[in-house]
Amino acid sequence: MSSCFHCQEPIPAGLDLRARVRGDLHAVCCIGCRAAAEWIAGLGLDDYYRVREAPAPRAHAVGDYAGWDRPGLARLHVRSRDATHAEVVVLVDGLRCAACAWLIERAIGALDGVHEIGVNTAARRVVLVFDPTVAPLSTLLAALARLGYAAHPLTAEAIDAARRRETRDALKRLVVAGLGAMQAMMYAVALYAGVFDGIDPAVRDFFRWLGFLVATPVVLYSAQPFFAGAWREARARRLSMDTPVALAITAIYVASLVETLRGGHEIYFDSVSMFVLFLLAGRFVEMRARHRAGDVVDAFARLQPALAERLVGETTETVGVHELAAGDVVRVAAGSTVPADGELAGAACRIDESLVSGEATPRRRVAGEAVVAGSLVVDGPAEIVVRRTGADTVLAGIVRLVTRAASERPRLARLADQRAARFVARVFVLTLLTALAWSWIDPSRAFAASLAVLVVSCPCAFALAVPAALTRAVAVLARRGVLVVEADALEALARVDRIVFDKTGTLTEPTIDVAAIEVRRGTRADAIAKAAALEEGSAHPLAAALRRAAGTEAGAYVIASRDEIAAAGVEAVVDGVRHRLGRAGFALGLCAADKVAVAVEDGDALVLADADGVIARFPVVERVRDGVVPLLAALRGDGVKVAILSGDAAARVALVANRLGIDDWRADVRPEDKLGHLRAMRANGHVVAMVGDGANDAPVLAGADVAIAIGEGASLAHASSGILLATPCLEAIAEARAVAQRMLVTLRRNLAWALGYNLSVVPLAALGFVPPWLAAIGMSASSVVVLLHSLRIDVPAASEASGVARAKAGAAHEVTA
Amino acid sequence: MNIILLLIPLSLVLLALGTWAFFWAVDHAQFDDLDTPALSPLLDDPPPVDEHTP
Repeated sequence: MSSCFHCQEPIPAGLDLRARVRGDLHAVCCIGCRAAAEWIAGLGLDDYYRVREAPAPRAHAVGDYAGWDRPGLARLHVRSRDATHAEVVVLVDGLRCAACAWLIERAIGALDGVHEIGVNTAARRVVLVFDPTVAPLSTLLAALARLGYAAHPLTAEAIDAARRRETRDALKRLVVAGLGAMQAMMYAVALYAGVFDGIDPAVRDFFRWLGFLVATPVVLYSAQPFFAGAWREARARRLSMDTPVALAITAIYVASLVETLRGGHEIYFDSVSMFVLFLLAGRFVEMRARHRAGDVVDAFARLQPALAERLVGETTETVGVHELAAGDVVRVAAGSTVPADGELAGAACRIDESLVSGEATPRRRVAGEAVVAGSLVVDGPAEIVVRRTGADTVLAGIVRLVTRAASERPRLARLADQRAARFVARVFVLTLLTALAWSWIDPSRAFAASLAVLVVSCPCAFALAVPAALTRAVAVLARRGVLVVEADALEALARVDRIVFDKTGTLTEPTIDVAAIEVRRGTRADAIAKAAALEEGSAHPLAAALRRAAGTEAGAYVIASRDEIAAAGVEAVVDGVRHRLGRAGFALGLCAADKVAVAVEDGDALVLADADGVIARFPVVERVRDGVVPLLAALRGDGVKVAILSGDAAARVALVANRLGIDDWRADVRPEDKLGHLRAMRANGHVVAMVGDGANDAPVLAGADVAIAIGEGASLAHASSGILLATPCLEAIAEARAVAQRMLVTLRRNLAWALGYNLSVVPLAALGFVPPWLAAIGMSASSVVVLLHSLRIDVPAASEASGVARAKAGAAHEVTA
Repeated sequence: MNIILLLIPLSLVLLALGTWAFFWAVDHAQFDDLDTPALSPLLDDPPPVDEHTP
């Protein structure tokens, strides 16, 4: 029976379907496969059939993907950058090898309306940036299906299942190897005793066969990942750290089997089992570390509940979270998770935002304040007006950023890979030389010695040195609310000697000085309620401060025909009367000329006015953000120079700079000048970090060695920077820098250790001083040392203590609030 | 010495049984989360919600 040209499954009897590829007719098993093969050939991509390492997934008749274009569903998975750019991360089933990635990149990338495509074979993810007006998501998914790859726009559940399978498999393999190794060692002890005290050949052979019996599952089942890895790399004509491992396992196992059959001198079933056990143990630890880094994403994704309680009049109805739309009011019970970004309406409550901001103490939120999806309502029920849902929420944005970061390989890791590959090639040459030399000196020892060289040399220590340290550092920082989006950023951060804040707003935040509110007409509470109503729905910090001041009165007024005028203020009809809130000049524009006479003196204040003149004046003060003072102290202690490059007026910048003791500041700087300053600093050999709010200063941020975006809520998700600060406390920058430095030190030590270890033991092994069992222990121990050493990367103890103090201060604040 | 001819196969059977039981446990989610269940006995039940919290 012949097999299908495309998917290599057997062709059903009596079926005669042929696909035309390069002028030849090839038998295929179904119409789907014929279409796939002819499409691939039609695109000129038939090289795929030559280079692929695994048969293609069977192409099924293309199903109906139109459902994915429904706005409700698409909103959950697709993020719109603008009208013609949308981004989606797709988990692809059947993505098996580099050839598949190549095929998908070419075939889908050639479609109209696809801007960018990135395929990650290991993570089985495809990142698509496309134009939804030209190519709706459904056509892209259908195209993937036509190639035979089932595509699932990524949901949290999918990540979860794949990871669970990986963990379970690893655990099973590890335990089989452990049990096998224990038994093999037990029988080996009997054999060793036999060597010294004499043993009956029949009993000896019995124990050897027992050793074979327990080592076989270890080699054939537990060691599978090594064979698979080595085979995959060999097909791509590359060497990896799996290659010598797989060779060594095969060599020891086969040689021991031959010796057992022959009744020879030495068998190594115990060594091979231990070898596999130790290697798997190392891999297991590595996998756990990797997963822990990914756990952040996972935790985020799982945080989003699937259902929500929507308020309809007086009652609630249960709806799917994807059915929520902006403006809906949802009720969240105590202990439940907030389903979408929005604002608190109704009674104040405490909300735990630790998974989004890293802040451990629950925050007290009052009506009008923003709440983010994924945070936990501590005492409820809370009523929340939905503002953003699905893929637009802060949470979804962060998940997407971290997912993308996880599927990129940083420069350091790529360098380490190349190094490991070169090292493996050298080990092979050395093994060969050892074998030749010994077969000339003493042929009986040639096998043991060259085996020892192969086993004892440890490319794993090399290959693990970088990723282990990086992964650990990223995980540690994520727990502290610092999200590393580009792993390269961490390397640069460790070397930073200049930190530039791009505006005073990153160091301070404007807030309303509640005590100093001047009321000209009406009651104070009434004025605040009106102002809060005008600012409803605005993300500006002043708006939030007003809503905070208004408290439960925020909902007292209903506004109509609201109009926001950039850099001036807002205008709306409140209670039937036209009101303005903003800078004095703008607000008083409403008044008749004779009323302006009683106007207030201008200054940094918001003015609320109607046609009859000023109602109230809200003085604005700059409050230094949390953690700025300790951050500056820590940076000075480290010899890092701090500067401010601000577009604000000189007086304002000078005030903030003086208060914080920053000498180097420039005001009235335009963005292109900021870029120029950054370039000049870098040209002088400084490594510069730029701290900004990330949303509207992307080009400037991109001009620095490291861009750090701080921000709250929505702005974070859209930030274009290497590092995101999800915590409002700026001190985290100093912590991140300390962790990054520790990471570099650890990484260097890891590499030095790997090199030192290999340089010292390989010659010993080549000279025949290392028995294979000792080689197995040595090689595994060296990679375990690398892993354990990497796990030592943590937030420095001093700053850990200050973190606790911070949490306590937060709690104290809670009490006084 | 002949007793080992009985005991060793017996130990191998037990080993196989143990491995099977372990596989079963792994497949039934007994090892998916090793941290959380260990903590649960240490945690008190959530305190009753106080209606009078400010």
